[in-house]
Amino acid sequence: MVCPSLFSIVTVGENMAAHTSRAFLSLGRINVPGLGLHKSVSRVTYSTGLSTDSSKATTGSPQKGGKKVLSKKYKREPGDPRTELMPVDQDWTAVYPVATPFIPDAIPLPVRMGCPVKGGAPPEKKGNLELIKIPNFLHLTPAAIKKHCEALKPFCTEWPSALDTDAKCDEHFPIKVETKSYVSAGPSIRNPAARIVHLSVKLSSLNLNDQARKKMLKLVGDRYCKDTDILTITADRCPLKQQNYDYAMYLLTVLYHESWKIEAWEAEKTVADMEEYSWEGSLSQENILDVLVRMKEAGEGEGEEVREQLLGRREVQEYKDSVTRLKNEGENESTMLQYKEAVKKVLKL
Amino acid sequence: ILHLNERICPIKLFGGSQQQEAVAAESEPEPLSIFRTQENDPACQSEKHFGQYYTLPSAHVRTVFPHGLPMRYKQQVKTFNEACMMVRPPALEVISSLKKTDNSKPAVRYLFYGLKGSGKTMTLCHTIHFCYTQGWLVLHVPDAHLWVKNCKELLPSSFNSSRYDQPLQATEWLRNFRITNEPFLSKIKTKQRYVWTKRESTEEGSTLGELVDQGITRVKTSSDVVGAVMKELRLQSGQPESDFRLAVAVDGVNALWGRSTIRKMNNTAVDPEELTLVYNLRKLMKNDWTGGAIITTLAQTGAVYTSKYSYLPKELLGEKGFDSMDPFIPVSVPNYSEKEFESCYLYYMDRHWLQYPHSRTEDGKKELIFLSNRNPSMLERICGFH
Repeated sequence: MVCPSLFSIVTVGENMAAHTSRAFLSLGRINVPGLGLHKSVSRVTYSTGLSTDSSKATTGSPQKGGKKVLSKKYKREPGDPRTELMPVDQDWTAVYPVATPFIPDAIPLPVRMGCPVKGGAPPEKKGNLELIKIPNFLHLTPAAIKKHCEALKPFCTEWPSALDTDAKCDEHFPIKVETKSYVSAGPSIRNPAARIVHLSVKLSSLNLNDQARKKMLKLVGDRYCKDTDILTITADRCPLKQQNYDYAMYLLTVLYHESWKIEAWEAEKTVADMEEYSWEGSLSQENILDVLVRMKEAGEGEGEEVREQLLGRREVQEYKDSVTRLKNEGENESTMLQYKEAVKKVLKL
Repeated sequence: ILHLNERICPIKLFGGSQQQEAVAAESEPEPLSIFRTQENDPACQSEKHFGQYYTLPSAHVRTVFPHGLPMRYKQQVKTFNEACMMVRPPALEVISSLKKTDNSKPAVRYLFYGLKGSGKTMTLCHTIHFCYTQGWLVLHVPDAHLWVKNCKELLPSSFNSSRYDQPLQATEWLRNFRITNEPFLSKIKTKQRYVWTKRESTEEGSTLGELVDQGITRVKTSSDVVGAVMKELRLQSGQPESDFRLAVAVDGVNALWGRSTIRKMNNTAVDPEELTLVYNLRKLMKNDWTGGAIITTLAQTGAVYTSKYSYLPKELLGEKGFDSMDPFIPVSVPNYSEKEFESCYLYYMDRHWLQYPHSRTEDGKKELIFLSNRNPSMLERICGFH
C-alpha cells in the first residue's frame, strides 16, 4: 500500500526530504477532496519518487528522463517584497496617493491584527484579511495633508488680522452657522445630509432683560445649554441648505421678539412655574420671621417695622442665602453644612 | 490595640474577665476602657468618650424603649445580655444643644440624616435616653411609616368626618407611651373637657393617666385620644406652672409628608393628612410651642414610594415637608470613623461574636472593613457570619 512505503522514504535521507515533502503535499491534496488512499490521482508525482528509489538499479535512464519532463512546472520564485527596497526618506504620498486597500508588501510596518493564537501573537500582516477589510488612512498622512493644503492655498483668502482671539470673533460675529457638505463618487453628486444647518448663538450677546431671558428659555427648552450659555437651533425640515438657513434665522428673530412681549396671562405665573427659588414671600421667610418674633428678638414692636428690622439682620441674610443655595443648587454636604450654621446662628444656639 | 489582639488569640473562649485582665495588664493599664466607658449617664458624656460603649441599665431599656429600638439591636441585646450603645459625635452634638435649651424659646427641631444603616435610629435612642435621665417627658413615635402603611382597620373619624382613624396603631402607641411616662401620668392635668360619646367624657382637670386609659380601653376613640394627649402636652409644656419639659422624638419623619399605601373603600389613595394620627403629629412638629425640643430622624427603610438610595433631607422630606420643618438643624450621621470601627470590632471580639480565628488577624479586619465599608448595620450583619 501507499502508506508503508511513504514512511520508508522518510527514513532514507536528506535528498529525499524535498521529495518527501512534496510527496506529503501531494498526499494531502489527494486526501482533502476525500479520495481514498487507494486511489492515486497524482500517482505520477508520488509513484515516480518511489520508483526512483526502489527501481534505481532495475530501470534505467528512460524513466528518469520521463520524470524531468513530467515534473513540476517552472515557477518563478517571488522576489523580495517592495518594503525591503524602500528607502527610509522616501515620499510616502507617492506610495499611497489615493485611498487604497492595505497592501502588506507595500507598507514597511510590522503590523499584526486579529485574534492571537493561544500563547502567541496575532497573525502577521501577510495574507491578513482583517487588515484589508478595514478602512485605512495611509493616504492622509501629515505630509499628504500638507500637500493638499498647498494645493488649496491659491483658492483661499487671508484670515482677517483683527480677529486674532476667540473673544473678538464672538463679539463681532456672535451667530455661528455650521453646515456640512459631502463629496463622493457615485451616480449622483447630491447628498440629502447636506441640507442640515446648525445655528448657535450665545444668549449673553442678545439684548434680553430678566423676564425676556426666562421666557426665551421656556420657549427654547432643550436647545439651550446652561454650561456654555449657547442656544443651538438645528434646521433640517427644508430640502435645500439655503432654505434651512433662512428658516433658522427666521426662528431666531421670532424667538427674540416673542420673548420681549408680555402677555396678559403671564401675570398668573405661580410658584411652581418659577425657574429659581426666590426667598422673598416664601414659606421659609414666614417661618423664620414667626420664630424670631416669638423669640422676642426684636423687642416689642408692631407688624411691619419689626419684620423690616428682622430682615435687615445679618444672620437672617445668611439664612436666606443658605436656603436659596440649598433649593437652587440641590443638596450636598457643603450646602447642608452652610444651612446648619446659618440656622444655628439665627436661633442663637 | 495590636498587642491586645495578639494576646487574646491564644486565649480560648472561656477566658473570663480575670484572665483577660491578667494578660492585658502586661500591655495596657485599663484594657476595658478602650472601647467601654463607665460613664453611663448621657449627660456626663463628652468628647473623650467618643467611640466608647456605655451600658444602658436594663430597667431603662424596659421603660424608655418598649418600642423604640431597631429590631436587630433588640436581638443583639438579648444575645449579649446587655444593652451597650456607642457614644458618637452627632448624638453628643444634639445632647449638648438640648442641655442649653431655653424653656421660653420655641422648640428647636433637629433632624438626623445619613446613609442607610449609618446609625440614625440608634443616635435618636441615645438622645431619648438622655432626655429620660434628665426627667423630660418623652413622646416617642418609633416609626412614623407604620402609620401610613399596612393599616388593617380604617375608621372614619367621629370628630371630623373628612379624616380617618387608625384604632389599632393608636392603642399600641398609647400603651407604650404609658409604660415610658408613668411618673407624669398622675401629675399632668387636662385643661379641657373632652366628650367622646353621649355618655363618655373626660372632665377638665382629670389626669393624663385617665385620658390614656380611656384611649386604651375604648379602642374606637383611641386616635382622638392620641390627638388630645398631644394637644394637652403641647399647650402645657413651657408654661410657668408646668414643671416638665417635652421631648418629641419621631423616627421616619418623612412619612408624615410622603405618600401612603392605605386605600379608601373606593380604591383611591389616602393622603397622610387625612389620617388623624398624622394630622395631629404634624401639628406637634411645628415649633409654635415652647419648653422642649423636637428630635427627628429620616428613614428610607420602610418608606414607601422612595428610591432606595435617597438619604438627603430635601429628597426624602419633599418640598412640603422641608417647608414645614424649616428652620431645622440637620445633623449628619456618617458611617463609623476608624476609631469607632476599632471600638466596634473590639466590642464584638469581647462579646465573642466574631467566632472564626481568621477574623482576629489583621487580614480579617481589613476584610471586614472592605466588606462593610464601615457601615454600622452592614458590619453587624457581616460579623454575624464571621
